[in-house]
This record gives sequence, C-alpha cells and structure tokens, in this order.
Amino acid sequence: MSARPHVLTAAAVAAAGLTLGLTACGSGSSSSTSTAAGTTAGTTSSGTPAATGKPGGSVTALFGTAPDYLDPGEAYTTQGAEPHWITYTGLYTYAHADGTAGTQVIPGLADALPKISSDGKTYTMTLRKGLVFSDGTPVKAKDFTSTIERSIRLNWGGKSFFTGNIKGADAFDKKQSKTISGIKADDATGRITITLKQPYGAFLNVLAFPAAGLVPSGTAVKNLSNDPPPGVGPYMIKDVVPNRSFTAVPNPQWAKMNIPGIPAAKVTVNVKIVSNTQLEAEQVLNNSADVFDNFDTLPPSLLAQAKNQASDRFSQVPAVSTYYFFMNTQTKPFNNQMARQAVDMAIDRRAISRLSSGTLQPGCFFLPPGMQGHPDGPCPSAGDPNAKPDLAKARALLKKSGEFGAKVTVWGQNRSPRKEYIDYYTSVLNQLGFKATTKLIADAAYFPTIGNLKSDPQTGFADWNQDFPNPSDFYLLLDKNSIQQTNNQNFSQVKDPHIQSELAYLNKVPAADLAKAAPRWAALDKYVEQKAYFANYGYLVIPKFMSTKIDYKSAIVSPVYGNDWTSWSVGG
Amino acid sequence: MSANPAARGAAGTEFTAGIPSALQADADAGTAGIGPYRLAWLRLKRNRVALVFGAIFVLMVVLCLLAPVYAHHIAHTGPTENHITDQVKVGGKLTDVVSTDGIPIGPTWHGRFFLGADANGRDVAVRLLYGGRNSLEVAGVATLITMILATLMGAAAGYFRGFTDAVLARVLDLIWAYPAVLLGVALGVTIAVGGLNLGLFQLHGNSLMVPAVIIGVVYVPYVAKPLRGQTLSLREKEFIDAARAQGLSHARILVSEVLPNLLSTIIVFVPLIVANAILLEAALSYLGAGVQDPNPSWGTMISDGIRLIPSAIHLTFVPGGMLVLTILGINVFGDGVRDALDPRATVHLEH
Repeated sequence: MSARPHVLTAAAVAAAGLTLGLTACGSGSSSSTSTAAGTTAGTTSSGTPAATGKPGGSVTALFGTAPDYLDPGEAYTTQGAEPHWITYTGLYTYAHADGTAGTQVIPGLADALPKISSDGKTYTMTLRKGLVFSDGTPVKAKDFTSTIERSIRLNWGGKSFFTGNIKGADAFDKKQSKTISGIKADDATGRITITLKQPYGAFLNVLAFPAAGLVPSGTAVKNLSNDPPPGVGPYMIKDVVPNRSFTAVPNPQWAKMNIPGIPAAKVTVNVKIVSNTQLEAEQVLNNSADVFDNFDTLPPSLLAQAKNQASDRFSQVPAVSTYYFFMNTQTKPFNNQMARQAVDMAIDRRAISRLSSGTLQPGCFFLPPGMQGHPDGPCPSAGDPNAKPDLAKARALLKKSGEFGAKVTVWGQNRSPRKEYIDYYTSVLNQLGFKATTKLIADAAYFPTIGNLKSDPQTGFADWNQDFPNPSDFYLLLDKNSIQQTNNQNFSQVKDPHIQSELAYLNKVPAADLAKAAPRWAALDKYVEQKAYFANYGYLVIPKFMSTKIDYKSAIVSPVYGNDWTSWSVGG
Repeated sequence: MSANPAARGAAGTEFTAGIPSALQADADAGTAGIGPYRLAWLRLKRNRVALVFGAIFVLMVVLCLLAPVYAHHIAHTGPTENHITDQVKVGGKLTDVVSTDGIPIGPTWHGRFFLGADANGRDVAVRLLYGGRNSLEVAGVATLITMILATLMGAAAGYFRGFTDAVLARVLDLIWAYPAVLLGVALGVTIAVGGLNLGLFQLHGNSLMVPAVIIGVVYVPYVAKPLRGQTLSLREKEFIDAARAQGLSHARILVSEVLPNLLSTIIVFVPLIVANAILLEAALSYLGAGVQDPNPSWGTMISDGIRLIPSAIHLTFVPGGMLVLTILGINVFGDGVRDALDPRATVHLEH
C-alpha cells in the first residue's frame, strides 16, 4: 500500500464503488446481495434518502428461512444482516440507496470518515456526541472495543476480518491477552484508534459490518438471539419467536440523534418465516403479506404470474453473488484435484439455471460479474458453462484420479430451489461414478451445521453475496486463516500457499486502486477455477417483490443488504 | 392347543349385542363345525366389495414391483436420473423436458415421460412406481416391527401383570402420549441427520429403514394395548388354569395357549397398520422426515410438486391418486377381513 498520508473521502469510496459495479454482503445462506441496476427512486440527487410516505403502520415481511442468529455478534447470513444493519449501526455503514450509490461507505456513529496514517495501518475516528442505545444507555467509545471483542469471542463467521487485520486481535482470540491491543478507545473524547498489523484496503468496509455495530459494554458473551441486545439504529428487534417470527419496531431514540444519511424507520416490520416459497410468493401476490424475501427464488409457476399481474410491484435486480458446490479439500475424495476437476467438468450449468426459474446466469468463476477481478474468457477446468458438459471425459478423469466409486455425502438445504440443486448434483455425482447420497438440513440450521468442523462435510451447497465491493470479501472463503472451529465459511477448507501469497499482496490494495489490481485478482480467480476448489455454477438475479400496500417506487434494495426497511412506507 | 373364539374382544375392540346377521347366516348355511379360518375365508369370498378393493391393492403392489422392468424397457431411465436439459419428441416435435424458465413437461402418453417430468427432469411414472415400492417396503417392514413388538409387549404385560405390566404399560403410554406424526417427525429429522448407532443395530440417515423403524415403533401402542387387554382376559380362562395345572412353563403357555387366541386380532390389525403406515410414511416424507432424497416416495413426490401446482398439477395429482387408491384398497379389504374373522368386533385404530 502507498505510504502517502490521506483521508479516505466519501468521494474516493464512491468512485471505487462506481468502478466496481455493485455490491452486497455475503455469507452462507446468502448474505446480502448487490444490485447492478436497481432503481434509484429512493435517493435524492444530493444522495440523502428521499422523504417518502408518512410514518406509522406496519408491514409483514416474509423470510424464506430464519436468520442464522438474531445477535449481531454471530449472524452472518443475508437474513441476519438485513435486520441487523438498520438495528446495529457501526462506526461506518452504507448509504441508503439503490444501485452503485448504495455501496458507498458513510459515517455511521463516527462523526466523519477516518483519518488513515501514511502507512495505512492506523485509523483514527471520533464518536458523534449524544449517542444512546435503544434502551437509553449512553454510547461510549469503549463500547466499540467490547463489541469487536464480543464478536471474536462468539466466533462470528467473519471474525478473521478482525483477527487477521487488527493488531492484537489474534492474540485476544487465542486468549493470550485480555483485550485487543490494537484498539484504543477514550470515553472522555470519544476518540477511537485502530492499529492494523498490515494495511488492508477494505478495512473501512470491515468497520461497516453489522457485527461491528455497537452493543453496550458488558453485554453477555453468549448467543442472545431470543432477546437481542440494544443497539443504535433506526430499528430495534423485539418479540422473537425462534424460527417463526420477530418484529422490528422503530427505535424512539433514533430521531433525536439526527445522523445524516440514515433515515428513521417509518413502519413496524413483522417478519414471518415461511419456508415454502410457493406460499411466500402467493401471499405477496395476493397482498396477504407485503414483502417477498430478496434471497428466495420465485417458483417458475408464479414467476410468470408476478411479471404479468404485478408488473408495477415486481422487478429483478442482478446480485453480486456466486453460487457453488464446495468440496472439502482435506478429506477424501475431494483432496484429490482430479476428482474435483471431474465434478467441475460434469456439472451442466444450464440445468441449474432451469432449476432457478431461469434467473441464474451460468458461470464457473468464483468472483461474479460486477465484482472487480471477475475473469473473462473460458473456464480452465469446467469448460463452456453454456454448453453441454462432456460427461465421458469427466468420468475418465475421475477413473484416472482413483476415486471412482468413492462414497460421497452431499449436504443441502430443504428449501426450493436449493433442494433441487442438491438432487441434481447428487445425480451428477452418481452418473460420474461416485456413490452419492444426500443429507438435507433445515434451512436455518444449515450453515451453522456445515460451518462446524466436527460435521466435516464432504461437499454441498453454498453461496456468497458480497459484504462489500472488494474481491477480498469473497476470498475470505479461500483464505486458510479464516478456517475456524465453528461458523466456518471456508467450507472447502482450502489451504493453498499460492492463494495466501497473492492475498498478502492483494488485500493491501486500497479501495481506490482496486481497478489496477483487477487483472491480478482475475488471474488468481482463474487459478482457483483450475484447481476446482469449488464447482461454481452461476450468478443470480434477485426479486424486488412487494404488495400494493408499500410505496414500491420509494422502496430501496440495498446492493449490500437487500431490502432497506427504512425506505418502506405505507399509505403515502 | 385350544382356540377359544369367545375369548376375543377386550380393550380396543367394541362389541355389538345380539347375534349378528352374518353369524346367523353362517349358521343357517350349515357352516357350524367348520374351523374359524375356513369360516372366515367363506365369509370373505361372499364380500365382493372387499375382494375388488383387495384386488386393486394387489394390482398396485404388482405394478410397483415391476418398476425396474418399466424403467429399463419402457422409460429407459432410472428414478433418480435428471434430464433437465434433454429433449423428448412429442407429436413429432422435439420439446424440452424442462423449459428454460423451469416448467417441466406434462404427460406425453408415450414410453418416455408417460406421466411427464418433475422439476429435475425425472420421469414421473418411473418415480411413481419406485416411490410405491419404497412406500410399500417401508409400510411392510413397519407393520412387521409393530406386530412383533406389540405382540411381545401386549402378551407379556397382560400375562405377567404386576411389575412387568406397570413398566410396559408406562412405556406404551409414553409413546401413545405423543401425536404419531409429531413423534415421527422428531425421530425422523434426528435420525435422518445423524443416523442411529446402537452398537449392533445401525441405521444410516438416508436408509429406508429409518422411516420403517420409526413408523413401526410409533404404532406399537395402538396394537399392544388391545392385545394386552385381551391377554388379561384370556389368562383368567379355565384352559389357561388347566395349562398351569399341567406344569407348563410361562413361555409355553404364552406360545401355545395365549398366542393362538390372539392371532385373529393380529390378522385383523395387519391391513389397518399397513394402511396407516403408508399414510404416515407419506406424511413424514412430505414433511422431510421420512424417505430421504433422492429416493422417491409418494409423499416426497407430492411435496416436490407443490411449488409447481399452477403449471404442473400432475406432479401432485398423480402420486396423490396412487396414494388414495392404495389406501382405499387395503382399508376396504381390511374391513372385509375383520368382518370375516370376527363379525361381532369393530377393531379400529384409535388416534
């Protein structure tokens, strides 16, 4: 990273966002997603959220699966991030806007963007005055330190963003120290200084994670999903019925704080978990519920109906996300590169597109279109993703690998179309010559289950939606340092020295210089495809689908976190 | 051995007063002196409705047993083979098995995809027959488990009474207290994920034996309780006293004196348990706790078809129809068997 002293300005971040296309958050069940070309109705020309509708009323939002956790220190799925980013504001957050504008990092609880030292390793920022949590407790600078420590202690799935970058965080994680030496917080002045081990180009984005959203010091270091802790944000979460429902109500403390760029909540949001996508889509279509889960796929039978009968409240926006089958590189048979390549070669991406109601763009690379570093050209291992795969060649390769006839358990989720993906994948593995069986897990428990190293899954479904517009977010899944005992996201358990040495360089590239590093990211992504650490099969577009009750035009789909609840209004 | 028809009845069965017309008819027809099972056969032969429905059930069983023949020689595909991007000729025109927006083809009325395809491009007719095999296999094994366990527990509890009865009866109460579907779902989901390892007895999560064992256990109280009541009544009879007086062991009395008197009740329960086991298997599979993917069963087929009802109703209609026909067949036939074996008793499963 360059040694010049600079202050990371909003303009610079916005410019980076523009070059990148879009963004969204990522994780297992699908973290947030990004929109390449969403509507822009939700923002004014000055970039501040448009005043829409009148406050009051309630809406029913449907989730296809329950959040993995309703505790910001643990949640790492899209269903978790969506309510958390407007409930637990961090020092930084994202602009409340559609499309590229929504990838812009703005100050949240910090009063301005940070001052970054000339070596790129020290970030200094100051808390705004007069901040209070939703329970009325004043916010202190040290709450930031305890929040980060809590997320690490709770084994948050992205904790390696903290432990890999903040000085002393790794020692804290290993219980070699009682606090993180790289974070200094002064309650009297509100000043927070973070020292990094080495420069990290996307560190501002790391500070914008909901997991870095402040909770009070002294909050119990345990899963508080059933009674989420107080936060600072437009909403607060109440009335949690695990795996059934929860309610997000406007935070009465929020309006007093008057933080620019983050609008107050206008409606109460009753969230219901409806795992049947058919039912979910029907309820929104006939207006008995108000919002369809961004990260669900409309069944093919209702997609046409939604397009025809609800064209004024249904649209599709591209997401910066990637869908893949992971293959555990540490156990047989997928510790064998040829076996992995045979699988990669045998998958018919066109088939999976049909299982996704035609909303999946076939592909083979890990970095999706819209993300810097997405490679062009043919797939080194998989062949043409838009053509029929050469099954005979794949079988021959598998025979050559010596893994022909190996037993494989394929892990997947119950909900459609992910269950159908797994049926298809299992069928392909059996055609190839494996003896494959499936293991389907309840949706909400899936990622915590496969993320537990004790489960030791061989292969299965996974996806990733961007957390922030930087390829290093996606490469968390290939970083050997991110492998952890629970909430692991590196499902293939990749430990590749070449990837590590490339990440050591690429992760330092400042956001503003990302375009220059794109060719090197692309080369790395081709290397990953050639090694077949994953069998990537494509990239989705996501639905923006609402009832007539909501002001559709002013409703924002954040490119990072999906539906932006603060933009919803009724009867406006 | 003594067969004592008068001893039948007890808990779980209901009695009607007076001499039933069927019995009177038998007496009028001069069937007195014929053995009870021969008499039952004669009565069953006269029940044309029961025989027709029994034939329907047998037809279903035969069709399902022929699944591999149909798959290999007619459909040319297996039950789990995906054909999502394949094409098939319909009316001389090549048609996608699954359209680019995900809608599967409907019935072609030809060898390939006779009843259409599902979302994964699998042949519905092939999966229907294999699914029936799986459903019947699960139901058959479950019924066997139920009958063996229920007979052992019911006879032991009723015969020995006291401590044995107290323990066994509480175990049965414990199982009985849980709604069958809820208990099945709880067990099914748990075992489907981790399997079951009890040393010598091991079950893999996706084995067909998982739903079979679960259903078999769930229905034990429904049969064991009536058998226990009947045994309680039997043990007070003179022929049991006589056997004891002869110095026969408990095991011998149970096998040679009690069991033969329970046999007709057991036979009457078999079709009822088979029918209920098929239904419960379908329900559990529908809820994801029974037969595991990609193995087909009528329950999983209905579940898979739900999301495509508006555009491909055949995916739910066809397995649903098979389920109805099979259950109707075995139930009506079972009623006929019950009437034939004991016209005075109304044995039924209490839920």
